[in-house]
Amino acid sequence: MLIENMKMAFSAIRANKMRSFLTMLGIIIGIGSVISIVSIGDTMRSMFEGLYREIGVTQAFLYIGYWVDDVRQSDYFTLDEMERIKEVFGDEIAYIDSNSYVSADAICGRTTVKFSFNGIDYNYQEVQPVDMVYGRYLNEGDVLGRRKNVVMDTISAMNLFGVENAVGKSFRTTLYGTTEEYTVVGIYQKKLNPFQAMMMGANTEGGEAFIPYTILTWPNDYFYALRFFARDEATMDELYNRIKGYVAKSKDRKPEDFRFNSAKDEMGQMDSMMGGLAMAVGGIAAISLLVGGIGIMNIMLVSVTERTREIGIRKSLGARTRDIMIQFLTESAILSACGGIVGILLGGGLVMAGGALLGVQAIVKPGVVILAVGFSAMVGIFFGMYPASKAAKKDPIEALRYE
Amino acid sequence: MLIENMLMAFSAIRANKMRSFLTMLGIIIGIGSVISIVSIGDTMRSMFEELYRKIGITQAYIAINYWVDDVRQSDYFTLDEMERIKEIFGDEIAYIDSDAMTSADAVCARTTVKFNYTGIDYNYQEVQPVNLVYGRYLNEGDILGRRKNVVMDTNSAMNLFGVENAVGKTFRTTIYGSVDEYTVVGVYRKDLNPFQAMMLGANTEGGEAFIPYTILTWPNDYFYDIRIFARDEATMDAFFDNLKNYVAKSKGRTPEEFRLITAKAQMGEWDNMMGGLATAVGGIAAISLLVGGIGIMNIMLVSVTERTREIGVRKSLGARTRDIMVQFLTESAILSACGGILGILLGAGIVMLGGRLLGVQAIVKPGVVILAVGFSAMVGIFFGIYPASKAAKKDPIEALRYE
Amino acid sequence: MKLLNRKKPEPKLPDYITENVSEELIRLEDLVKIYDTGALKVLGLKRINLTIHRGEFVAIMGQSGSGKSTLMNILGCLDRPSMGHYYLDGVDVAAMNPDELSLIRNRKIGFVFQSFNLISRTSALKNVELPMTYARKGKRFREQRARILLERVGLGKRAEHMPNELSGGQRQRVAIARALANEPPLLLADEPTGNLDTAASVEIMELFSQLHKEGTTVVVVTHEEEIAAFTERIIRFRDGEIVSDSSNVRKEPESCGTGSETEKQEATNATETEEQGWESAGEPREYEADRNMKEREKLC
Repeated sequence: MLIENMKMAFSAIRANKMRSFLTMLGIIIGIGSVISIVSIGDTMRSMFEGLYREIGVTQAFLYIGYWVDDVRQSDYFTLDEMERIKEVFGDEIAYIDSNSYVSADAICGRTTVKFSFNGIDYNYQEVQPVDMVYGRYLNEGDVLGRRKNVVMDTISAMNLFGVENAVGKSFRTTLYGTTEEYTVVGIYQKKLNPFQAMMMGANTEGGEAFIPYTILTWPNDYFYALRFFARDEATMDELYNRIKGYVAKSKDRKPEDFRFNSAKDEMGQMDSMMGGLAMAVGGIAAISLLVGGIGIMNIMLVSVTERTREIGIRKSLGARTRDIMIQFLTESAILSACGGIVGILLGGGLVMAGGALLGVQAIVKPGVVILAVGFSAMVGIFFGMYPASKAAKKDPIEALRYE
Repeated sequence: MLIENMLMAFSAIRANKMRSFLTMLGIIIGIGSVISIVSIGDTMRSMFEELYRKIGITQAYIAINYWVDDVRQSDYFTLDEMERIKEIFGDEIAYIDSDAMTSADAVCARTTVKFNYTGIDYNYQEVQPVNLVYGRYLNEGDILGRRKNVVMDTNSAMNLFGVENAVGKTFRTTIYGSVDEYTVVGVYRKDLNPFQAMMLGANTEGGEAFIPYTILTWPNDYFYDIRIFARDEATMDAFFDNLKNYVAKSKGRTPEEFRLITAKAQMGEWDNMMGGLATAVGGIAAISLLVGGIGIMNIMLVSVTERTREIGVRKSLGARTRDIMVQFLTESAILSACGGILGILLGAGIVMLGGRLLGVQAIVKPGVVILAVGFSAMVGIFFGIYPASKAAKKDPIEALRYE
Repeated sequence: MKLLNRKKPEPKLPDYITENVSEELIRLEDLVKIYDTGALKVLGLKRINLTIHRGEFVAIMGQSGSGKSTLMNILGCLDRPSMGHYYLDGVDVAAMNPDELSLIRNRKIGFVFQSFNLISRTSALKNVELPMTYARKGKRFREQRARILLERVGLGKRAEHMPNELSGGQRQRVAIARALANEPPLLLADEPTGNLDTAASVEIMELFSQLHKEGTTVVVVTHEEEIAAFTERIIRFRDGEIVSDSSNVRKEPESCGTGSETEKQEATNATETEEQGWESAGEPREYEADRNMKEREKLC
């Protein structure tokens, strides 16, 4: 009987091709836009997750809370303190530094390029692997000996020296008032997709270089923040809490006065913001699905009126109220579900094509697709209910008499 | 002829009430949601503007830019500098202070309330009028004499003293390490709508008080920024630029190294963001209008088929192709425009009602309404063209023979 | 027997469908039908008492407005009487709900209408299958039985045709085949020849006579004396009352030759080859009818 009903529905749909197509089109557009928006949201979320994984998801910064009014010098950090934290928490910390950076003009011959210098320890590569193409990374000797050696990426090297392999070349720059000569010891290749390049600031004109943190942070300096990479992502929250407790105690503060800003938290915030936005906008797009549903109802009502006589004949041949009801419900559900499937293909296709054009991995979740098909069939059944019951309740004599 | 056509259209619409209503419903929902979203956006924008007017649209802060690496003590401000600025820019400045604030526990007998203290000059009331209900405002004597007098709002007074009229009452608080007794000399009432209370942080439990800035800022103190209110909103941008240039020059810096934050610019940013968001989300809501338009086309096609015989009769009576075309176009345009008008009433009604419930002044711009009516009629005409031309092109003989 | 070998068990039917087999197929007792048109009440049928036995061939005659159509609707279980009883096969159907009536119509009654009432854009075969579909019969059973029925009414070669590709007489024969689908004890025909020319009318009435001979109870509503002449009992109606009820000596059927000539003219849509096949359809049709009778016995 179900198959019989489906066949009847398809033949009725085929009998009025244009009408059926336009009715479906409403659902196609509705489901298509909901799918696109939700999928764009999901794609953005995954892109942000990728971005945070790129900069290191276990990364976190510790500093005195901005809400603390009476900040004292002792609330800042010294290298001694950093060493002590290293000793106390040892293996649990994959990497720690003073989060020091500065920007200055790098000069080589007649070329001047604005450079950002990032002070790092020799084991920074362990937490932020780079693809070395020439020379070597900064080593323990560079860091302990405060040697004026730098590692930069190929683009920065091109900008400053006009060649990618700038190993051995030197340039002059002024850091904290003293002008000195720095030597390039290594070159790495950046591997970023266009979105990451955009978010992390693709430096097409300027330059970036790693430099021993000991050059940027002096033994008796106070610096604002400590940068950590936890060894284990699973236990990092607990570790950071303990570090915060330890630091607060050593500075005679409450743990609440210090703030840990972790990449994971930031990622979580971004994720929930994106998720919320996609939900809200997807919901607004779903209004068009409602309008499409009303279109189905309207056309089904027309169809019921046109087929009044058919309903009368079927009833005279023994069709029960339920049989007629199911016949028309099947028809509207099929109309809607077909529209839903085409809409998914359209919406999913648009997102995929857009992703391919922008060079990002578009994400269309199977769950969303299943939800959309189910929802569109639901729309069909919901909006088909009224016309179907109107059809089913027709009086057979009147229906047979209908012209 | 136009009136004839409109009468025909109305009688056709009335002949199929349910069908016409459902067709309109698509447009009603489409226009209604676009109007609501755009109006919510406009309302939010006006709320933000009002908020910024409340905190003073001519307000600005000048401070050393956050990206300046080598910040010196001389980049901060002193009271002497502030006095010099007052002398030089005299007429153009309505008010200036050191933007001093701190928070501390206020203790009165057994009650302890967390208070935020804002250091102000005696003429702060000129730029930020308050509705003083008891006592007096801080006067020049309080400021110059560094008297421990405060002015607070009725809520804060209730929280700390349990009465609104707390004039003459005293409390103890610890500011910068010294515990002193402060006296309430005036109490004012805050006039905020719920949105402003939310954005400005309604202090239901804590307290807020104005206190002479001379208590919070010592003559040999350096403070991070200065707060200025310009006298004239029209010329304030030029004035602030001049001021920034003067400050930078006096500190041996480039103007770019100082940061000027104006309430107006911040408001503009909010305004742009809101405007952009409302446009984007309104556009997504407009998808439902497209679906509604398709619904009109579909129903008009049905209508044309049903009235094939009528078309044949009209043609046999001398109706030209154009006459039939105009007849059906009029019908679809009226369907859509009626839906548009109802949609506007619905959308505007919802926004107005929501505004009333939340206690804010909802804004439905006439321009948006006109645009919506025009757009819905356009939708009707656009989606009516195909069915109307199909009707107009019917062969009269075939049409008369149609069953 | 093979045809009855269905995979799915037939749904359980109520006793009034399966058990009652009454010699009195129709019995009306003090049947009244009142039409309530708001302001005034119109008496459609005034205390009708009538009995029709199994195997009768009855004509119900009367002018329009005489109440014959009202009676037809009630006999067909499309409408319910206002008062009185209607026993169909010994079961009072007057108080049944719409779904129970649907089941009665499906199993006990075969309808033939003036305007054929075939479902458009649906092949003759599918039209004939429809009552069996509502009876939840299996697909294979339906199709085979529908083909047998179409052959029996002489349309075996037109099974796949759409109603608009058939002549009026052919359409009515499809409708008769459809009416026979669930082997109902009662065949109700409402002005079955109203939309047909004389020759086709004779064909259809002959088919009814044939069915009557095979044991089906046939009730024909008509206003034409020539049509009523085919039956064995004529009941005349006027103003909602039976004015006469008499037996009729059945007129001898005319030869089939003329009928097929007309068919040929009517079947304008028919293709060349089919037309040729049709010319010689007169004699084999009787043979076919015999064969179909045997088929029918098998089915029973």
